[in-house]
Amino acid sequence: MKFLCVDCDSQMALSETRGPDQGSMTVVFTCKSCERQIAMLTNAQETQMVHSLGVKIGGRKSEPRPMETIRGSLVGAAGDGASAPDATPAPTATSAPDATPAPAATSAPDATPAPVTDESESEGKCPFSTMVVEGSQPQFAQPDGIQWTSEAEERLQNIPSFIRSMVKRGIEDHAKAQGVKLIDKEVMASVRENMGM
Amino acid sequence: MKSYHDIATDGGSGVASQVADQESRLLERLSRIDHVVAVMSGKGGVGKSMTTVLLATALAQKGLSVGIVDADINGASQVKMTGIARQVKVEDEGVSPARTDSGVEVMSIDLFLDEGSAVRWNAVTERSTFTWRGMVEVAAIREMLADTAWSKLDVLFIDLPPGTDKLPNLLDLVPTLSAAIVVSIPSEVSSYVVNKSVSIARESLQGKPILLIENMTEFVCPNCDTVHKLFESSSDAPTLDVDSIGRIPFDPSLSRTIDQGMTFDSVSGSTATAAALRTTSDRLLEELVKPQI
Repeated sequence: MKFLCVDCDSQMALSETRGPDQGSMTVVFTCKSCERQIAMLTNAQETQMVHSLGVKIGGRKSEPRPMETIRGSLVGAAGDGASAPDATPAPTATSAPDATPAPAATSAPDATPAPVTDESESEGKCPFSTMVVEGSQPQFAQPDGIQWTSEAEERLQNIPSFIRSMVKRGIEDHAKAQGVKLIDKEVMASVRENMGM
Repeated sequence: MKSYHDIATDGGSGVASQVADQESRLLERLSRIDHVVAVMSGKGGVGKSMTTVLLATALAQKGLSVGIVDADINGASQVKMTGIARQVKVEDEGVSPARTDSGVEVMSIDLFLDEGSAVRWNAVTERSTFTWRGMVEVAAIREMLADTAWSKLDVLFIDLPPGTDKLPNLLDLVPTLSAAIVVSIPSEVSSYVVNKSVSIARESLQGKPILLIENMTEFVCPNCDTVHKLFESSSDAPTLDVDSIGRIPFDPSLSRTIDQGMTFDSVSGSTATAAALRTTSDRLLEELVKPQI
């Protein structure tokens, strides 16, 4: 799925993820030209579908753990990250080869599944908490890697807000055409000269 | 206005790249396996899983390195039939497969569950589960293939659930599939349904071998070894237009062995069933090696 800003005819970039909360996930996209934002709000089935793909919205910071979908989503599984209320103790990894499945040490009726042997498991209890990139940090990148110096950004703020996005886009297009990656006050001056601003 | 295909990236969601990474990990794991063979049938109850474990055991008893993926997520039976212990050991290189007495490596969703527990997935809602259940089942099969720390295998069998759609779904995951074994019984209804699977398999496999194993062809009397036909063949029965590599008789002693999770000795056994398994496994090996000659 991709998002397009119709006004700018420009791809929107993921800038923030929130949730899942009560089965709904919020994914915010920002237009890299006009900075307009939209939020995609998923219903429970849509959230579940993303979860079923075994991916994280926003990308991963670390390699997936072996069989994380099975171990994280299967009710009662060894490695079950969800602990459904009626989940039965999962088989342990320390069973002797000929032993019957050993129950978890705490075999009370409400016992949670036995601990996994994978000690690196660090995901939260909610199986859907693994769906979004950790930290929900903004992913909004400048187009084509173009950066602004703080001084140039400050100058941009002097432009009236109703026209700021258009000017910003024009400057970035100019920079791109000139092969410039860093917009500073000299680049802005050059644009002003060329555009008669 | 731009269309989907005008935009090269996914805007930072990272979903497409993660799916591509999943595919890469799977192909990398499968690259260490010489032959991946699907065992399928459009019809349930024809003995796919039993045929899978018998063939795998017969090949292991010949000295080959063999594995089984129990891809019948909701009807997993390989753990019960092979008598392996339910244990899960997660290591950096993957989850260790269980190993039968004959040395066959097995991965099944049943290994993660207590005996008798059914497969249930954590869900935020139980409504409209059809929208995602198929996806999570395919993800589970992908993980069992890609995240199992298989040895270097000669043959990996994938025991598919019944259904004509299962093989095309598997081929999406495993484009390197070597062959498909179609299991049927000599009944008109079975041939009717299995024929549908064969025609889909023929389209999907594009020239790769489709091999028929007829199961329960005869009944071997446990007292006198007399062989009786189990099904009356009819002239109206559709014939399955695929190469047959074997006919396995119905043998109560074999059924008891499998039910108890014990290993059936096809190497030294002198029964009609043991002989049939030897012949069938030899024919399978011939078919797998043929394209390499």
